[in-house]
Amino acid sequence: MTTFAGLWFIGVILPVLGVVVVSLLRMTAEGGDPALTLDAYREILLTGRWEVTARTIRIAATVTLILLVISFPFALWLAKGLRSTTIKLVIWTLLTAPFFLSDTARVIVWRPVLGLMGPINSGLMTLGFIERPLPWLLFSESSVHFGLLGPFLPNMIWPIFLSMTLIDDDLLEASKDIGASPLQTLWYVIVPLSLPGITAGIVFTFVPILGDDVVAKVLGGQRVLMLGGAMLDLINALNYAVAAAMSTLILVIIAGLQLILVMVLRTVGGNGSLVQGLKR
Amino acid sequence: MTASEQLRAAVERERMILRWSTAVAVILGCVGIILIYGPIVWLALMSISEQPLTGKPGPFTTIWYVKLFTDMRWFDPLMVSLAIASTVSVLCMFTAAAIGRVLPHVGAVGLVILSMILIVLFMPGVMLGVDFIIFYRILLGIRTGVWSLILAHFVWAFPFALLSVIIVASRFDTRLLEVARDLGAGRWRCFRSIELPLLLPGILSAGFFGFLLSLNELPRSIFLRGGITTLPLFEWAEAASHSTMVPLIYGLSTLITLGSLVLTVLALSLLFKRETA
Repeated sequence: MTTFAGLWFIGVILPVLGVVVVSLLRMTAEGGDPALTLDAYREILLTGRWEVTARTIRIAATVTLILLVISFPFALWLAKGLRSTTIKLVIWTLLTAPFFLSDTARVIVWRPVLGLMGPINSGLMTLGFIERPLPWLLFSESSVHFGLLGPFLPNMIWPIFLSMTLIDDDLLEASKDIGASPLQTLWYVIVPLSLPGITAGIVFTFVPILGDDVVAKVLGGQRVLMLGGAMLDLINALNYAVAAAMSTLILVIIAGLQLILVMVLRTVGGNGSLVQGLKR
Repeated sequence: MTASEQLRAAVERERMILRWSTAVAVILGCVGIILIYGPIVWLALMSISEQPLTGKPGPFTTIWYVKLFTDMRWFDPLMVSLAIASTVSVLCMFTAAAIGRVLPHVGAVGLVILSMILIVLFMPGVMLGVDFIIFYRILLGIRTGVWSLILAHFVWAFPFALLSVIIVASRFDTRLLEVARDLGAGRWRCFRSIELPLLLPGILSAGFFGFLLSLNELPRSIFLRGGITTLPLFEWAEAASHSTMVPLIYGLSTLITLGSLVLTVLALSLLFKRETA
């Protein structure tokens, strides 16, 4: 086991840390002595790449928020409202299966649907709501937002659901018995106790969306470049230092979010609760 | 208003709130499920439509499936993907079994190792792809190829595989092993007759998940392909190129997705068999 942990560290963790170093080096094509520099970061900030980073963070944040709004009530109902085990099992399966399905297949299908001559545009035109097809349906930020919702929904629902199943039913009963209204119970009992799950859900959706390259490429076209696509372009252009800097930037964001997650877990009590939740 | 009437009104109000919030939750849930499965159903529908690129279903035909089996350019990528996925699957089964059977029983060290492994789940695929290619290709100077694809897929799939073994292993009663030892069973006998059968559902689903995650992996493969074309890479290239292959991709994706769905349901039912029984 220790051997494996060591191998994992060398093979997986070391590359991630190594890239941080690479992002700080100036590497010349001739080989030469690498020198410490912040050039790569300057390039991100000064050239249009900062815009890409900002756009990616904005899109990821919006989509994460929408997913939270959809997921919280649904997860609560799944964990506490739904009585039938059969339906529960079916929904569990439906929510787990997407982790193992191809993103590309699910995303390419939106393109003709949202396109200029697609069913949405032509339907709206037949109904007389619009005279010309809506150009912003495809290859725009709205289509990217829309396309990101489906693939990342399970990432949000699962952690929230798990943390809610850990809430003792007796607590909800007690809250009701001492005269709390359902809304008070929701705000003072359920929300604080499911906070670890909510935070984990935000991390598990926000971070992968930051790195998504399929949806933005297929539904955003050239107009909505996101970090994932930008990094691919950089690697293809052999601009490793800037790609490394972008990767480091994402790592910093992840570390920041992780820190928040750990802090939330600590205030609620018990770092192990999430692990326990996974064991269920 | 008497006290009892007031009480009844309050109870009535509470019921209304509960009923409405349940309705909202269920509606949102339906929206979510449709967001996930709508595209899949639509994909299947388009794959049997005459002109899938217009985005309108019907008139229905099997012409694309017939074409799919006459134009077999997807066959080699499929074989490559299946070979890599099988390798990753076997690797996942063995390592997840070896690590997962001890990890829940070693306390704090286990938690550290577990978080080191699970941290990969937090990293976007593209980021890991970039990190791997810079580290292995640029820093160490090793050419990418089958090995880098297998490595990347394994790193991606292993946390899932490990979790499915741990789910089973943490329910495992270690006293069973003590009893067997007291009865005179050797280490190998203990493992083969007690541990392995009890952990088998977790190990098998680790294999299933490793297979599926590798089969459908794209973001890491884009960086680490090294001239090799897996099925997702092939689909990706064809879908992006607006080529004549696109309608065929619909049929192909439908078949792969349905196959993956069946395998997933199988793996899940294996994993949670004891709970539902």
